[in-house]
This record gives sequence, structure tokens and C-alpha cells, in this order.
Amino acid sequence: MEPSELVVQMKGITKIYPNGIAANRSVDFSVRAGEIHALIGENGAGKSTLMKILFGLELPTEGEILVNGEPATFASPLDAISKGIGMVHQHFMLVPSLTVAENIVLGMAPRKSGLFIDYKEAVRLTMENAEKYNLHVEPDARVADITTGMKQKVEILKALVRGARVLILDEPTAVLTTQETVGLFKELKALREQGFTIIFISHKLNEIKELTDRITIMRGGKSVGVFDTDSISEQEISRHMVGRDVILTVEKDEATPGEVVLQVDDLHYVNEWGKRALDGVTFSVRSGEIVGIAGVEGNGQRELVDILFGLRLPEKGDARVGGKSLIGQPQARIRNLGVSYVPEDRMTFGIAETGSIEENVISDRFHHRRFNRGPLFRMKELHKESDQLILDYAVLCKARSQEVGMLSGGNIQKVVVAREFSSDPILIIADQPTRGIDVGATELIRKRLVDLSRAGAAVLLVSADLNEVMELSDSLIVFYEGKIAGCFDDGLWDDVMMGEYMLGIKRQSDEEIGRASYA
Amino acid sequence: MRDRRMAWFGIARGAAAITLALGVATIFIFLSSETPWTALRYLLIGPLVTFRDTGISFNAQYLYQILAAMIPITFTGLAVTVMFSANQFNLAGEGCVLTGGFIGGILGVYLNINSGWHAVVAVLIATLACGLVMLIPALLKVKLGASEMVTSLMLNFILLNLVNHYLNFQFADRSKGATMTKPFQPTAIIPSLVPGNSKLTVGFIAAMAATALVAFFLYRTRWGYAIRMIGINESFALYSGMNVGGTIILSQVIGGMLSGMGGSLEVLGRYQTYLWRDLPGYGWVGITIAILAKNNPAFVPLAAFFIAYLNKGCLLMSTYCDVPVEMIDIIQAAIFLFFAAEQFLSGYRQKLVVKTTQEDLMKLDASLLNGGENHA
Repeated sequence: MEPSELVVQMKGITKIYPNGIAANRSVDFSVRAGEIHALIGENGAGKSTLMKILFGLELPTEGEILVNGEPATFASPLDAISKGIGMVHQHFMLVPSLTVAENIVLGMAPRKSGLFIDYKEAVRLTMENAEKYNLHVEPDARVADITTGMKQKVEILKALVRGARVLILDEPTAVLTTQETVGLFKELKALREQGFTIIFISHKLNEIKELTDRITIMRGGKSVGVFDTDSISEQEISRHMVGRDVILTVEKDEATPGEVVLQVDDLHYVNEWGKRALDGVTFSVRSGEIVGIAGVEGNGQRELVDILFGLRLPEKGDARVGGKSLIGQPQARIRNLGVSYVPEDRMTFGIAETGSIEENVISDRFHHRRFNRGPLFRMKELHKESDQLILDYAVLCKARSQEVGMLSGGNIQKVVVAREFSSDPILIIADQPTRGIDVGATELIRKRLVDLSRAGAAVLLVSADLNEVMELSDSLIVFYEGKIAGCFDDGLWDDVMMGEYMLGIKRQSDEEIGRASYA
Repeated sequence: MRDRRMAWFGIARGAAAITLALGVATIFIFLSSETPWTALRYLLIGPLVTFRDTGISFNAQYLYQILAAMIPITFTGLAVTVMFSANQFNLAGEGCVLTGGFIGGILGVYLNINSGWHAVVAVLIATLACGLVMLIPALLKVKLGASEMVTSLMLNFILLNLVNHYLNFQFADRSKGATMTKPFQPTAIIPSLVPGNSKLTVGFIAAMAATALVAFFLYRTRWGYAIRMIGINESFALYSGMNVGGTIILSQVIGGMLSGMGGSLEVLGRYQTYLWRDLPGYGWVGITIAILAKNNPAFVPLAAFFIAYLNKGCLLMSTYCDVPVEMIDIIQAAIFLFFAAEQFLSGYRQKLVVKTTQEDLMKLDASLLNGGENHA
């Protein structure tokens, strides 16, 4: 390999964060011009850190970066952009209230008489580039109104307009439907034809096999190896990623649903942007079954879960657990009814970051009689409880007194789940329970969820990971624009079909949708 | 391994901040004094010794005075610690010291209990009253969402003017030249612990007991736990089902009570009549102390001792040398700056982190080579 063909070389990159986490340890990473290169590894393997360093968001503790064979130091993303490196983040960096064209020219807007932004020129520039790169967007649409897939195109265009020759895509398909993913792959392949280089970060093995030329696999902050995609099987990739074979299917017995635990009746809600987020949603969850909610994000799932946990008030409709309404109730009361909740945003709602593991696992039960004697805590009981939970949920830590924020994402989620699953809940609301965590933790959490439902709990599973909802659910509800677009019984679905309902191409009849409710 | 090294780093950083602050003070002393070395000697070791021609000897009375000065600021330091633990930036500790002192003083004059219980009852009523006063910013915060920082700051001046009003028009002893109340009854005076005029009273024992109680309260009770969790992450506490509003109110009421108790113990322990005409400043010092103690109640008496020692040193320096007493403000401000600056010595901290992490990783690698399969 001639060095000149390597558009990016990172040599001996080590990154140690101020909290002592070594995210990268002497990583070598290089990309050839004009290839799609996959960067794959479990969460916490160091992929994101490595890419943040390449994009100038983090400074490496040790190591050097070469771009086109020349040494480069990136103190900020501006330096990286000037060297032709662009990044599309997992969470889009767009201004929702501005139009597509305004977002694309943000910071480099064409001017009229040196003072006013030339909006027409911005639109023209957008159209021209959209045409050139075959990424079709509507320049005048407000970003808040466009679909996730469209936002991603805007992000890619934004990078290209700024002169990027190397594009870093951080888990781009995590938020897309199957159809949108197919579209994205076409666009990426077209970009490769035009000579662009793409670094593609992903967890999804099938996508990597389909799309990429070469693969760098990371594990535990190190690079495990670089492979030609054609010469390595999915099983081999997964073995390199986790150091063992991962069973990604969950074994579960047939569900034997009992009585209705959660009954949701005709919920209506208009969200803070005036969008009708929920438009007459009715369904039930019975004990002993897992009901999955699938849908592209932003179709009312977030608002539904918030209403169920008392964080928002609907305009109309009711939600009851065991006959008692949840609407507008304080969280203590909702928990007392036997509801537990794995929140989507675990760092905001799930944990107190600088608190200890112990302080985090007892937050819903610290006031119970068994942990208190008079005004004082029974410290021994608290220690016993937290040690037991750490053991039961295999939380990897030094001690119960360790700060939760110092754990890896998967272990943080295990702490949340340990608390939420161990309070004998009759209803578990699990919102994206395995998003962005490693395979080991994902397996454990999915298995526990199935075990709890088979032991009689009702489970409402909301997930953007289509494989997860399809794998775990006993019945499945698809949300589209605040309405139920379809409901399906176990096994009567596949991902292409789901995609059609998620994108609003198909919709079941009212009678069919009515089957979601047993009231 | 890492924990211990980081703990040492914390202590070393504190010591470095203090040393640097004293260094800044030294510069000003050399700029302003004709006899800088003598001034420095008074500042640093003066508070503990008497200088004589024959040499220096330990001065117990000075030590008692320092301990006595710790009483009110230990209470306000604890008050701020409790409120800051719940992430409540309530600054009305100052007003509560004044109000508690005033109420304690009035009860010391007019209450008739013919035993030591007089002082106890006066202090407890003052304490409760200040707890009630603190309900104002607390309820405004919880019910209306008003920033407790603004309301409590304003509250200080409302309290000051109310106290002055009642002192002038209701309780002033007209036979005196200055505005003050009638003298306290002997039963209301807080008894001294040691002979002499040091004002080291039973209040010191109360301050130490309060320290232990607050430490227990914050780390060993369900209410203290809720206060700390709300302080770390209010959304998390709400989602866990904690009574967030009630706990926010509780933390501020406790802050008010501690401040009021400190104020009344100070007034009834140090003076013969109530004569404060302005905010005494102990509430502000309490903030400095809480920051020095990193919101840990166990460190509050240490921080209070340090501040009291420094005050005494500055007082001696200005009495016996030509350095103005305002030097204390410069030193305190410098310490405050160095302590509060998160980035202070962070480069060195990062190097330490890198070193320990690499050591840990090498050990881990070695154990993996030996132990092989055990990492799951």
C-alpha cells in the first residue's frame, strides 16, 4: 500500500479523559481514498472518541494524525473541515426553526451588499449541490417539519458544501426506517463513485456487509484488526467485537396473557411545537405479555410515555393501571400503583451522575420501612440491597460506593434496570432500554424483560430499534403521526412490512386497529 | 489506589490554594507596610502566641477567642452546606443570623424564666422563627418558580429594616446614648466554658453537636438523601418519585434554623444587650466556609477555624503594625478565587489521571495474561 493512497492515517492514538477513562489505547487507524470504511465495535469500545479526535472535537493524549500523508493537528472542527473532513453526528446538529437552505449555509451564508443574507443564493446553492450529489432536499422546508431521513441528507449536504472529501457518519441508520436506510445506502454508494471517502460507524453487521469495503474492528479502546469486508463473515466480526459469539436472538415461551393491566383510552395531545402528537390512541397491555411500539421517532411515542408517567397532561383521554388513572398523578403515586419506567434519557432521568451506585439503586425505595429505623437509615440493609442488585444484574464496578458516572454506558443502564426491574412491578414501561449499549448488557436486559413478562408483569416496550421490538414483542403496535397505523400479533410481521406502516404507506382498517384494545 | 491519590490531590490542591492566597497577601503586606516581616509574623503565628522580649509563649486566651469566633460561622457554614447540597442558592442566611439574634435578644430581655432554661427557650424560639422566615423564599421557589437566589437576597434587606424598625420604635432603651435594648437578664446569657473574657461559650459545644447532627442528617437519613439527590439531579429525583418540592422547602427551612440558632447564640453569648444595627456578615462568611468545606459538613468546623484564625491574625496585624484590617478581605477573596476555580491545577490533575490510568491498565493487562478467561 502506497502511503499516498491513504487519505487519513491515525497513528498510536491514546486518549485518557479527565475522569480517568482510557477511551483509546495506541490505536492505529487508516482509510484509503474512495472507500467506504466501517468502524465497528461495542459501545465503549472507543469508536466515537477516535472519530471525535479526527474531527477535532477532542485532543488526543498521545499519537499523530496524517491527512494525505501530511501531519495535521486538529484543535477544533474548523481545522478538520479545512482539511476536508466532515462529520454527521448521531444526534443532528441542525437548527430546527431555520429552513434547510439556512441550515446548509449556516456560518458561511452568502451576503447581499455585504450585510444581509442572500436567501435566494442560499437556496440556489442548496439546489445545485443537492443535484450534484443526488441528495434531494426541499430548501424552503423548516428543519422541524422534515423527516429524520431528510435531516440526515441535510447534514451530509452541509458537510459536502463545506468541502468535505472524507465523511464520518456516526451510526447513521440508527434512526432510519428500512426504506430510508436503503435510500441512504444508494446515496452513499453514489458518493463513493464520485471519489468521496466515507467512514461508517455502526453496530449493525448486515449493513456493514452490504455497504462497506473494509472494516476496522475496535474492542476495549484498541483496534483489533482491519479486514476486507468480503473476506470476513458476520460471525467472525461479532467474535472480534466481543471476544465471543453473541446470541442476538432471545428465547421466549409463548405468552399467556392475563387481565388488562394498562388501558389507554383515546389519548389526544398537542405538543409544545403545536404538533398533534397523539391523535386518539387506544390500546391495552395485559399481564404476561410484551407489547411493542414501533415507529419512526417523533410520531408520538415520546409524548405517550411521558403522559403515562405523569410528566405531561393530555387534552383528552385516559390511561389507567388496575382501574386507577395515571393522568397527572405524582410519580410517587404512579410507582405505588406498581409502574416502573426505564427512561429513554438515562443520564437525565435514570441516574444521579455523581452519586454512588448505591445511592442510584435505592432512589425509588429508600423510604421503605425495611431501610429505616426511626429517623435513621439502616445502612446494613441498604448495603445488602445494593450489593444484591449489583450481583443480580452483573454491574461491573469496583464497589457500591463507586460513582455511577464513571461506569460505561452499558453498566449505567444495568444500574437503572436493576432498580426498575426489582421493585415487583405490575407494569414496566421500557423506553429504548438498550439504545447505545454493548451487546452483553443488551442481552441481559432483553432476557430479564422477557423473564419478568413471563412471570406475570405487563411490559410496554418502546424502541427505535426495529429488530428489538420485533424480537421481543408478543404483539406490536406501529405509530404513525400520533395514530396507531397498525397492530400485529406475534410473528405476523417482517421488517419490510413494518417499514411500510412506519412510513405511512399503509394503514390498517379501524376494525383491525381496534384489536389493540381489550377493554 | 486511584481514589487515595485523588484524595491527596484534593488536599494538596486546597493547601496550594491557601498558600497562593497567602502569597498574594504577602505581596500586599510588603507594598503597604513599613515593617512587613513583623506584620507577617503577627498574621501567621500571632493568633496563638504572645510575643515578649524574652521570647514567645503560647496564649490560651487567643485560642479561646478563635474558638469563640467559630461559633456563628460554623452554624452559617452548616446552613449553607445543607442548602447548597439541595442545589438551592439561598443567601438569606445573613438575614436569618440578624433576625435570630434579634428575636433571641428580645426574649433574653423580656422573657421571665428563672433558670438556665431561659437561654435555651430564647435560642429555640429564635431558631424556629428563622425556619419560618425561610419559608418565604422556599415557597416562592416551589409554588411560583421564583429564583431563591434573588428572593433570599432581597429578603436580607427586608429583615434588616424590619429589625431596625422594631429596635428603634419598640425596644430601644431610651436611657442609653446609642440604639440598643435593655440589658439581657442574667438567666438568658449563654454560660462561658472557660475563665476570662474570651466569649467561648456553651455555644461552641452546640456548634460541634450541630455539625455531627447535620452530617448524620445528610448522609444517614432519608431526608438528607433526598436533599443530596435533588442537588445532583432534580429530574432524576422527580422521576424516582421523591417529593421534590417538599424537600427543597425542607432544605431551606433547615438552613434558616441553623442560621437563626447561630445568630441567637452569638448575641446572647457575646453581648449584654442587643445592638446590631447592620447585617453582621456571618451569613456571607458561611458561603465561603461551605465552599472551602466542599459542602461536606464534617469539614465545616475546620474551614471555620481557618477563617477565624485568619481574622484574628489580621486583627493583630492591624493592631500592632501599619497594615489595614481590610487585608482580611483580600486574603479571603484570593482563597475564594483559587478554591472556586475548577481549572486550578487541572493540567497537573490530568497528568496524574493519565499516569494512574496507565498503571491500572498495565496491571489489568498483566492479570488478564495470568488469569486469562475470567473477564466476562
